[in-house]
Amino acid sequence: MTTMRRRKARTWSLLGDVKRKPSAYEAVTAKFHYHFRRDPAPWELDPEMALNRWYLDHREGSPFNVDDWEGYRDPAKLTYKDYVTLQHERELYVDGLVDRFEAVDHAASYSDGWTAAFASLVVPLRFPIHVLQMASLYVGQMAPSSFITNAAHFQAADEMRRLQRIAYWTQVVANAKDASIATTEAAREPWESGEAWQPLRETLETMLVAYDWGEAFVALNLGVKPAFDAMTNVALRDLARRNEDEFIALLCEEFDRDAARSRAWTTALVRYALERDPALADVVNGWLETWAPKGIAAVEAMGPLFEQAPEPVAGEELVEVAREAQREIAGAAGVA
Amino acid sequence: MPALRRSDWYDLARDLNWNLSYVTEDEAFPEVMSNNYGITPNEKWWGWDEPYKVSYREYVHNQHGKDASVYSVNSVIARSRMFEELDPGWKSAIVAHYGAIAVPEYLAGLGESRMGRFGRAAAWRNMALFGTLDETRHGQIQTYFPYTLLDKEPRMDWAHKALHTNEWGAIAARHLFDDMFTANDAVSTAIQLTFTFETGFTNLQFLGMAADAMEVGDLDFGALISSIQTDESRHAQQGEPTVKILVENGYADVAQRLVDHMFWRSWHVFALLTGLSMDYYTPLEHRSHSFKEFMQEWIVKQFLDQFRDFGLEPSWYWESHFLPELDWYHHALHLGVWFWRPTVWWNPDAGVSPAEREWLEEKYPGWNDTFGVYWDTIGDNLRRGEETKTLPETFPMVCNMCQIPVVTPAGFRAGKLESPEPQIHIHEGRQYVFCSEPCKWVFQLNPARFAGHTSVVDRFLGGEIQPPTIPGALEWMGLSPEEMGQDATNYAWAFEGFEAPGAAAS
Repeated sequence: MTTMRRRKARTWSLLGDVKRKPSAYEAVTAKFHYHFRRDPAPWELDPEMALNRWYLDHREGSPFNVDDWEGYRDPAKLTYKDYVTLQHERELYVDGLVDRFEAVDHAASYSDGWTAAFASLVVPLRFPIHVLQMASLYVGQMAPSSFITNAAHFQAADEMRRLQRIAYWTQVVANAKDASIATTEAAREPWESGEAWQPLRETLETMLVAYDWGEAFVALNLGVKPAFDAMTNVALRDLARRNEDEFIALLCEEFDRDAARSRAWTTALVRYALERDPALADVVNGWLETWAPKGIAAVEAMGPLFEQAPEPVAGEELVEVAREAQREIAGAAGVA
Repeated sequence: MPALRRSDWYDLARDLNWNLSYVTEDEAFPEVMSNNYGITPNEKWWGWDEPYKVSYREYVHNQHGKDASVYSVNSVIARSRMFEELDPGWKSAIVAHYGAIAVPEYLAGLGESRMGRFGRAAAWRNMALFGTLDETRHGQIQTYFPYTLLDKEPRMDWAHKALHTNEWGAIAARHLFDDMFTANDAVSTAIQLTFTFETGFTNLQFLGMAADAMEVGDLDFGALISSIQTDESRHAQQGEPTVKILVENGYADVAQRLVDHMFWRSWHVFALLTGLSMDYYTPLEHRSHSFKEFMQEWIVKQFLDQFRDFGLEPSWYWESHFLPELDWYHHALHLGVWFWRPTVWWNPDAGVSPAEREWLEEKYPGWNDTFGVYWDTIGDNLRRGEETKTLPETFPMVCNMCQIPVVTPAGFRAGKLESPEPQIHIHEGRQYVFCSEPCKWVFQLNPARFAGHTSVVDRFLGGEIQPPTIPGALEWMGLSPEEMGQDATNYAWAFEGFEAPGAAAS
């Protein structure tokens, strides 16, 4: 027996009596977080149990809130299917890139000086990128709308993507030049103790415990990640080119496509929030006053590693690239 | 193809554990998000080793292929008349499935994401990231498919809205899934969601239903479910290494308790969802196994093997409560769901035509004497045109743990319970009703987690549901008159084999 209804439904009933049929992206994303602002608590357990309190305090209770988050759209409009299709294609491109540079034994052409720079600067990047992955997942699990959650979760996956390509190439360089760089310690030791890495580690560890969902988002996507990405995608690209490592340069450019997608959904989200409540500019700027300088301090301390390369990038140049990236995203988000 | 094999470099991408310096472990991994159960420092978790390994590039290449294939099946079938030609009972099974499963699968992504942030080893966090993506896929694909069927079956709307409502089955689903993953810490989630629920129960739901779907001719659902299962079997493997760490550090009792707690809860919701689908809603000619046989083959055997492998014991209630319930619990729920059919979003298929009753008697000896007699009376009433006698005027008691109506009188009548009475428990001056000893035990394990929750009946009696009548409650549950469940075959079963079919009520 099929249920009878007066007229055919154009879409889910919860999306209202729409004139325009929602896109497939909207049909599989809208209103999945039924638990946001649910009365008396998000989860169907004791309203005071610990995780209810956590969400009430850090999500519902965040100063970064508007009357309705469901109107927000990620400009890339990615469903899962779209995301894996997009990244399948981009990974085919990187597979081809790897093939091309492996075919000419590119890693064997590394000078000793560039190998050393690669070891001290690129090899340990796995650790901070892993922290960015963790932080993106936190933003995703705390976000008040699935349109935000999914974008943040895809961003976390993008972090894993670059981390694994760096791990792969570390092994390639190790095989060609110096076996000692393909060990846990070769990355963890500088990450835990290397002077240049400590401000970055301090910034990232403290960012991990910024549990207010709005602050977690602003700290990561407007404060720290833009500076970090400018360092790894732009300054490192330039450094690699100056040292004739076209593979790393192209890889950095590829990673910046993912970073650009992050910047796009981030600025769209802040703009969406400010349109609904202009007073939120102060909230965002308040957090940025903490996190933008932390992002810069992290990058600045890495300067000596860029300067050690046979053909260096100056520390001031590095810092300027990071500052510019922060300025750009703040401007695009409307909080500059 | 890159020249190096995954195994050549993979460890570099997962051995990313470090000692925190600028914040404490407790700050970065607070107990509420990641209960270490006393296993400190974090280094003790660093040996966490996933049995199944996959890289990002492999993941996107594989998943792209899988999605392309499943969506193309959907697109071809959408242009056919396949759905219209499906058996009405089977349609009920998939309408029930989508409502109870689609959005919760998406939300399992929050549990995965929590493990991806608060899991205590980097390898685990990486696996959980894939789990997060997988569950995003499952939420989206299982809402997209019913979305394409909205014009053919308006009840598919429940695939999207069920969890927004206070329909009692949706409350039961929320209570279970929030306990299991959305409101659970990372360590417990690994054991309760992945080890207990996914490794055990989704095998039954997905493999079993995929086989049934193919039998019934529902290629769309069959392709969907099989494809989902390939992801589940990968990310479900996060449980095993987590259990190993607990056991190695002398906390086998913690693992045991977490498993026992969630196994029982999962069993009750599965009996409700899958038990009814397999033994009553699936067309008789396409049933390959009974629900009990499936449970014995897929769940009982698998869990006993797992218990042995990890040095755990079968749950304390295994012999005394769980195995006996295989014979009666879902039959009792079916009777209740059918009788209270206006309170569910699907059309329950009675599934008790003479041939079906013969099958039930064969699979569950004694069924006719215990459950058949109720259906005899219902059938008589329908044949006399007294449909109102087959519809509810009051509400049943609801269990304060599983949130499912208490059906103990049926278990008593079936000779499986010593008393028809529910379990009563007083906690801090409030009386709680439980359908079973294990449901009460789960409550007592951690009262702070459950005590302040109110069941549908508590809310009804507390005056939250107005007017306090059946129609008032149905409205509160979000069921419009068109959506309230009706008998799936318009009572055809009651007239099979009787000479003069009376006027079947609509």
